[in-house]
Amino acid sequence: MAKLIQVTNLKKIFENGSETVHAFGPLSVDINIGEFVTILGPSGCGKSTLMLIIAGLLESTSGKVEFENKLVEGPKTDIGIMFQNNTLVPWRTVKGNIELQLELRKLSLEDYEDKVNDILKSVNLEDFAHRYPNELSGGMQQRAAFCQAMIHEPKIILLDEPLGKLDAMTREKIRADFQKLWMIKKPTVIFVTHSIEEAVQLSSRIILITPRPGKIDREMKIDLPYPRDLKLKRSAKFMEYVNSIEEVFHEYGVI
Amino acid sequence: MKKFIKWILSGWMVILFFIGFFLFWEYSIIFFDVPKYILPPPSQIFVKGSADLDKLIYYTGITALETVLGFTIAIVLGLGFGIAISFSSILRRTLYPFFVSIEMTPKIAFAPLFISWFGFGLLPKVIIVVLVCFFPIVLNAILAFNSLSNELTLFYQSTGASRIKTFFKIRLPAALPQCFVGFKYAGINATVGATIAEFIGSDKGLGFYISIVTGNMRPDLAFAGIFFLTCLGLSVFAFVTIMEKILMPWHISMKRLNKQ
Ligand SMILES: Nc1ncnc2c1ncn2[C@@H]1O[C@H](COP(=O)(O)OP(=O)(O)OP(=O)(O)O)[C@@H](O)[C@H]1O
Ligand SMILES: [Mg+2]
Repeated sequence: MAKLIQVTNLKKIFENGSETVHAFGPLSVDINIGEFVTILGPSGCGKSTLMLIIAGLLESTSGKVEFENKLVEGPKTDIGIMFQNNTLVPWRTVKGNIELQLELRKLSLEDYEDKVNDILKSVNLEDFAHRYPNELSGGMQQRAAFCQAMIHEPKIILLDEPLGKLDAMTREKIRADFQKLWMIKKPTVIFVTHSIEEAVQLSSRIILITPRPGKIDREMKIDLPYPRDLKLKRSAKFMEYVNSIEEVFHEYGVI
Repeated sequence: MKKFIKWILSGWMVILFFIGFFLFWEYSIIFFDVPKYILPPPSQIFVKGSADLDKLIYYTGITALETVLGFTIAIVLGLGFGIAISFSSILRRTLYPFFVSIEMTPKIAFAPLFISWFGFGLLPKVIIVVLVCFFPIVLNAILAFNSLSNELTLFYQSTGASRIKTFFKIRLPAALPQCFVGFKYAGINATVGATIAEFIGSDKGLGFYISIVTGNMRPDLAFAGIFFLTCLGLSVFAFVTIMEKILMPWHISMKRLNKQ
């Protein structure tokens, strides 16, 4: 498999005057084309920070990030990102928010008209295309934000706890939808979460991060067939993965 | 029309209150035998005011002109400086603290100076209105353009959009609600500034009218002038509120108000 993203000895220390916070690192990770890699770790271990640095939106303290052997020196614009807090703007409708991504990227709204409708349909929001975000439930907002982040069809996708604020039922549903989408288009995904079950269900590989300052505890390949549906989630093998990860975090005293 | 009736129906309590207020005023003056040259009853204000209607309307026009001109110039200048200060770190360290410290002085204290410099005409009044309106607008604009959420900043950076594009598609609409906080505050101040400027030195306008008739022991006419001033102030405020609705039909705080 071809290496797509290389993270080498990356470290981040925040300095606010005399106060310093060692967020994470140094850590190194390679991500291959078409992988679904989940970064799993306790709250505050630097997952969001790591993601921002990979996306070129934040400078690291030391170390480097490379995409296809090219050093990341500024914001990467050829990827899709979904931030921990959604980036829907209140002055545009759901559809308008999705189009905002296209407009900012100078993509033609006409060319993408069908795609906007399709992606809205795929998350069951077609009837809400002309509603404003504050008229939607939290789960619907998150689905709209997902459409906004994906509409330009990026081949590399970074998702920071996209399902974090959702109820258990909606979470389950969107996970399944998202897995379907990933199986069809096979983008490279970096997924941040602190749900162990979610990580095992979605990922081809999980990177376990220690409490702050986050370092890589271990990597775990998940050898389970896709699609990973409810039936598979009840299987012994699935539970085995979940249990072994729980044990790791139990040792750290996180759970 | 239907809307109007609905509005009357939903506002009946306020209307009733106003009617009650004026009746109370009218009859308590008779009851307590208050001399009319101290506090006239509403009926007298209405009758005497109507007789002087031409002058009142003309003077309202004068004061309105000063208010609207000053307010408009203040919006243009305030937004301009606000945006410039938000985007320039040098201005933020020089002009901004300067503005904040001037904000502490009561601007109206400059009024006599401006009148002595620029005479009795329109110019000093407009300058005073600008001065009174400018600071709330500029300070709120700075706050508005500096408070874009971290996520939205990262979002537009990740799209590689140009500065101009992000300004019009993200920064400006995101800043509008806070800018309007400044416009509203300034709108209330605008008529106050114009009136006080006219008190100090002028030969027309509602402020001039009120100070002259008060000097002539005609509180009834003074109240008539105050009534017209109130109407002017309400119109300015209503205009700002309507603009807010037109420009930001999505604004959450207004939606909440609508629901109540
Ligand atoms: N801009 C910043 N300035 C200073 N410290 C920061 C900044 N951003 C993050 N931190 C600190 O860095 C650490 C890691 O933060 P980060 O948001 O990356 O954690 P996280 O793993 O994403 O947590 P969560 O799962 O709760 O989202 C935290 O201790 C946080 O306080
Ligand atoms: Mg986070």
